[in-house]
Amino acid sequence: MQDFEDFVALRSQALLRTAYLLCGGDIGAAEDILQDVLMNMYGKWRRIRTSPEAYARTALANAAANRWRRRSRKPEAPLELGAVPTARGHEQQVVDTDSVVRALGQLPRKMRAVLVLRFFDDLSEAETARTLGCGIGTVKSQTSRGLARMRELMGEQVLTWN
Amino acid sequence: MELKQAMEAATADLDVRPGFVGDVMAGARLRHTRRLLTATAVVALIAGVTTGVVLTRSPSDPPVPGPVSGDARLTAATGGDQAGNAELIQRSLTAWGKPTTIHNLVTEISPDAHVFWAGSTPEGRVSLIAQSVRLPGSTEPHALVGLVHDDTVVDQEIVYNNPGNQLSISREQGIYRLGSNENATYVVLSLGQKVFWSAKPVRGQDLRYSRQWQEAPFEDGVAVVTARPADKPVFIRTDTGPPTDNVNHDQDRIVPRQEARPQTTGQPQGGLGWRDAMWASSRQDLLGPVILQKTVSDDLKQRGYLDYGLPLMAWEVRAWLPDGRFAAVTETPDGLLGALYQADGTFERVLPGGPVVKGTPVPVRLALPDGQGTILADRGALLGPEERENAWLAPPGTTEVAVWRSGQQTVVPL
Repeated sequence: MQDFEDFVALRSQALLRTAYLLCGGDIGAAEDILQDVLMNMYGKWRRIRTSPEAYARTALANAAANRWRRRSRKPEAPLELGAVPTARGHEQQVVDTDSVVRALGQLPRKMRAVLVLRFFDDLSEAETARTLGCGIGTVKSQTSRGLARMRELMGEQVLTWN
Repeated sequence: MELKQAMEAATADLDVRPGFVGDVMAGARLRHTRRLLTATAVVALIAGVTTGVVLTRSPSDPPVPGPVSGDARLTAATGGDQAGNAELIQRSLTAWGKPTTIHNLVTEISPDAHVFWAGSTPEGRVSLIAQSVRLPGSTEPHALVGLVHDDTVVDQEIVYNNPGNQLSISREQGIYRLGSNENATYVVLSLGQKVFWSAKPVRGQDLRYSRQWQEAPFEDGVAVVTARPADKPVFIRTDTGPPTDNVNHDQDRIVPRQEARPQTTGQPQGGLGWRDAMWASSRQDLLGPVILQKTVSDDLKQRGYLDYGLPLMAWEVRAWLPDGRFAAVTETPDGLLGALYQADGTFERVLPGGPVVKGTPVPVRLALPDGQGTILADRGALLGPEERENAWLAPPGTTEVAVWRSGQQTVVPL
């Protein structure tokens, strides 16, 4: 399973970043679901080895969603935002990075996943729909509403997008 | 700030903890072994219970029904030019009933095995069979599909029946290989789509690979194609036409078992065997998704600079260049290969390099265009006047490099 180990060694960092955003900034949860997803991929490697990245993204989105479903079943203290990495550079950037993760963390899980896949992973609407197992129309509407909500949540730090 | 930039900035410093890869590998192997042991134990238990039931059941009792998958092939009329060959079909079903390794992965096997295609190939007569099975932890039955040749099960695969999207990428391969490494016969299932195949890739002067594609001729949903594995045949199943560009369509590729095994793809000949992303420049932030979300080998593959079937390269060296552009280099069976990107992540051009010779000092040396210097790498060594670990972007005109390894310094001419 040399291929699999190579994939884990080389892609874990990028996948962790996606997981971190999907988990709304909870780095502990992101590491947990990434490790779980990668361990599950091992037994399926022959079937998924042609598109491991796509499989991993789908599984991460599902895992992040299921984590939130489990949380919602038993009431508990609101999820505290995980440690937000402090970006190098001037202070303004620190504020921006902090607030974008906080804002993402306040979105419904599907809306957040759509924004992360579309704008962070650069997937097309069709690819995002395939990854999340929903229709393109849903992706479009979630994107539109998600961006509007992000603008509300970000306050004066106006976000733009292409 | 753009949303994309903000998300990238928010994650720029994130990396997995030390030892993460080892933890994943150890956990994955343990989990996989446990599953196999559990499945085997359950199969043994079911076999014991079933045997007991059979032994104690009166002859008038109805048979115990097994799981029934919704796969249409379980009840389809047998196709192929040997569809009327009852002896072949019976022999194939007898061979199919013998235990195989994949039986260790299922918890229940239905007695509904059915030959849905029986036909002639250059390697002899073969049968394609479908059967319902149940998997651990799954309530829905799935189909087990495979090919029998000369009383031997050539290959079997479980066709997952989950409507959820998680397993949708685990699609059925539906391709079986017979014959020798010199001349092979491929039995390919249509599965309601078209299949195109190609052999003998050609590498052009622009370093991109191109292939001529032809459509597999289906009869009763099955095509028989003969090709030499040495010619690197590639099969693609798609709803559309053949690839009209030289872009790698790996996501549509279907691969027979013999060509999917990691040991047949393996590491590149003479490969360095490194497994890191190394930086040759001090600035170590990454670009947007263009770089962040894929390796340079992924990028080169998608752009047609690497042919199908190459293993994922496990290392790359990255560098921000003095003029603001970005470069990355990895290895291929043909030698070093890199890519140059503009400051915004736009791919600019491929960077061909020389051969890779393991064991030589500073085995990675990629000269950059436009006087941007040379990317040097030697994993485990300290390079250059700054004694950079693993890699160094040598300025233009550099004729030698000091290499520190195990406390010993050597000067290597470039």
